[in-house]
Amino acid sequence: MIEVGPAAFMGLAAVLFTLGLYGAVARKSAVMVLMSLELMAVSVNLNVVALSRFVTPTEMTGQVFAIFTMVVSAAEIGLGLALVLAIYRQTRSIELTTMDSLKG
Amino acid sequence: MAYVALIPLLPALAFAVLAPLSRAVRNRMRWVGVAGVAGSLALSFAAFAAVWPGGDEGEATYRASASIASVGGVDLALGILLDPVSAVMLIVITVVAVCVQVYSLDYMRHEERIGWYYAVLSLFTAAMLALVLADNFLMLYMSWEVMGLCSYLLIGFWHEREEPRKASQKAFLTTRVGDVGFAIGLAVMYATTGSFAFDVVLGSAAGWAPGVATAVALLLLFGAMGKSAQVPLHVWLPDAMAGPTPASALIHAATMVAAGVYLVARALPIFEASGIALTVTMVIGATTALVGGLLALVQFDLKKVLAYSTISQLGYMFVAIGAGGAVAGMFHLVTHAFFKSLLFLGAGVIIHALHTQDMREMGGLGRRMPWTAATFGAGALALAGIAPFSGFWSKDEILYAVWKGHHYVVFALALAAAFVTAFYVARLWFRVFMGAPRTLAAFAGHADTDHGDEDHGGHDGGHDESAADRRGETRWPMVLLGVITAGIGFSAPFFSEFLGHAGHWPDPMIASVSMGVALAGLGAGWWVYGRRAGAVDTEAIKARFRPAYSALDAKIYFDAAYERLAIRPFIRVTESLAVFDRIVVDGVVNGAAVLWRTATDLSWGFDRRVIDGVVNGTARLSRSAGVALRRLQSGRVQTYQRYVLGALVLLMLLIVVKGA
Repeated sequence: MIEVGPAAFMGLAAVLFTLGLYGAVARKSAVMVLMSLELMAVSVNLNVVALSRFVTPTEMTGQVFAIFTMVVSAAEIGLGLALVLAIYRQTRSIELTTMDSLKG
Repeated sequence: MAYVALIPLLPALAFAVLAPLSRAVRNRMRWVGVAGVAGSLALSFAAFAAVWPGGDEGEATYRASASIASVGGVDLALGILLDPVSAVMLIVITVVAVCVQVYSLDYMRHEERIGWYYAVLSLFTAAMLALVLADNFLMLYMSWEVMGLCSYLLIGFWHEREEPRKASQKAFLTTRVGDVGFAIGLAVMYATTGSFAFDVVLGSAAGWAPGVATAVALLLLFGAMGKSAQVPLHVWLPDAMAGPTPASALIHAATMVAAGVYLVARALPIFEASGIALTVTMVIGATTALVGGLLALVQFDLKKVLAYSTISQLGYMFVAIGAGGAVAGMFHLVTHAFFKSLLFLGAGVIIHALHTQDMREMGGLGRRMPWTAATFGAGALALAGIAPFSGFWSKDEILYAVWKGHHYVVFALALAAAFVTAFYVARLWFRVFMGAPRTLAAFAGHADTDHGDEDHGGHDGGHDESAADRRGETRWPMVLLGVITAGIGFSAPFFSEFLGHAGHWPDPMIASVSMGVALAGLGAGWWVYGRRAGAVDTEAIKARFRPAYSALDAKIYFDAAYERLAIRPFIRVTESLAVFDRIVVDGVVNGAAVLWRTATDLSWGFDRRVIDGVVNGTARLSRSAGVALRRLQSGRVQTYQRYVLGALVLLMLLIVVKGA
């Protein structure tokens, strides 16, 4: 039986966060960037729940906090997708590289 | 008696009314001038009656004065002194002024600026009346200068033409030379007595140091010589004839030129205190009487003959005062004022009728213009000194005074002048009124009309086409003056008594000598100019008396001498001053300008390079910074994320490094 400790959760979270970070910085599609942002949020949630389970097993603080975060992420993704749709209607494109009308 | 103050104020008021009006209105308002002078005439007669023995005023004088200003503790007073002398002068001035103004109504009626002419004539009359009423030398001097101004304005009345313009300047500047002497004399007088008032100055004159009295007297005399055209300051008066003839009659025959005589007669106590000043006055007067008469001999300009004659007669007045016969001098002033203004008015009629002033183009006017000839004849006989016309009486009194003073040389000079006077009077008379008419204009006379009311409306320029007598406005002043000229002589004894001297009828010896000389002069004149009916051969006379004639023709070189001794050196000095001005003064000014320009150039360069450089450099710096920095703001979200990521990595590295 393999012992699954906090390190394994934190390692997985680090992998997920890094994947999300890369996606957010490097992907061209706005939808992909939003998904990458979600990935980073999920990795954080994973960390929060894992640390809560291992550090304070009797408290439920981490889990509750994770649910809050998921609610906020859902709202955020809704807003983000709405923005993407609006931009798409305007420019027929969701490529972030073309969105530079705020250029200095 | 306060109405005496109105005598000079009425004409002054007329001037004040006329002067500010527009030309067209003023030209219609000339009756204002006549009314002002007529009012003065009436008041003058009232004033004269008041000081006449048996009048209202017990002591035959009226005084009033008021201080108008105080300068440094010294009161400037305007005052009135009405005594017999000023009363007589008032009558003379106002009578002549009224005659001249009425005469001018017709004579000047075609002039464009007749309103201005009347305004100046009124101002002049006011000044002359103020002068004889003044109770102090300062007021006298002020009126004196106002008269000088009016004289200048009237001589230069036709200032479109060059000759009147030059004549007015000459008159003004020449009298100014005398006025400087007058002003210095006033200063010395004030330094001596601390007052200008007649009673203070003249009352104390006898006690002055002889040197001071002589200095003051000679300086006043110098002023009088300028105004009264005495040799050597007489040169302006003949040229002054360029002005309108009636103005000449009033100013340059009757009144203003007599102001010098009046001044000397007023200041007589100072002259008496000096003694020698009286002799100087007499010598200058005698010289002038003779020189003026001689110069009149060779003039062909009718008015210039009269001008030189005026100079000569004024000289006579100075002789009288110098010889101690101030009353005789004043009496000659009175008679001369009437007969000479009469002669000028007559000359004006002739000049308008013939369009010329040259006596060579006249002749035979006696038949054409009987009224003019009769009145002019009365004036001419008075001037020549033929009894019973007024000039005889006054000239006789002067000769009597000179004889009684034992001034035999001057007596001889005066007799010579009387002879010359009679001679040029005869020359003038025979050339103008006798003989045959020498020009078409002199021929073409209308028949003389008794009412004298021809229609002149069709002519422009104020010139009539005929040698006929003129209208009533012209004629009656001349008739009035003619009657006065004929009759005033008989008042001689009363006149003397009125002025405070023992009156007397002419001394038989002197009278017969003077009459003899005058008749001899007239006879000689007839012999040369009237004996043959034909034209007089001037060239023959000129040839026979070559040196003397050419000297007289050149006005005895007075004008040439002034030209050479005063005017040309003055112009040379001004020319060298102009060079100095150009080189030194202009050099300094231009140098300063160049210097300043260089300084401003430098300042401009500094401004451009340094001040603008700082300002523009700042602007350029911020612009290039902006250009560089705007590249950071690409507008792409992911770029910003990369910056944030990079910054985060750096921050973490920093923490790691620091923490270690």
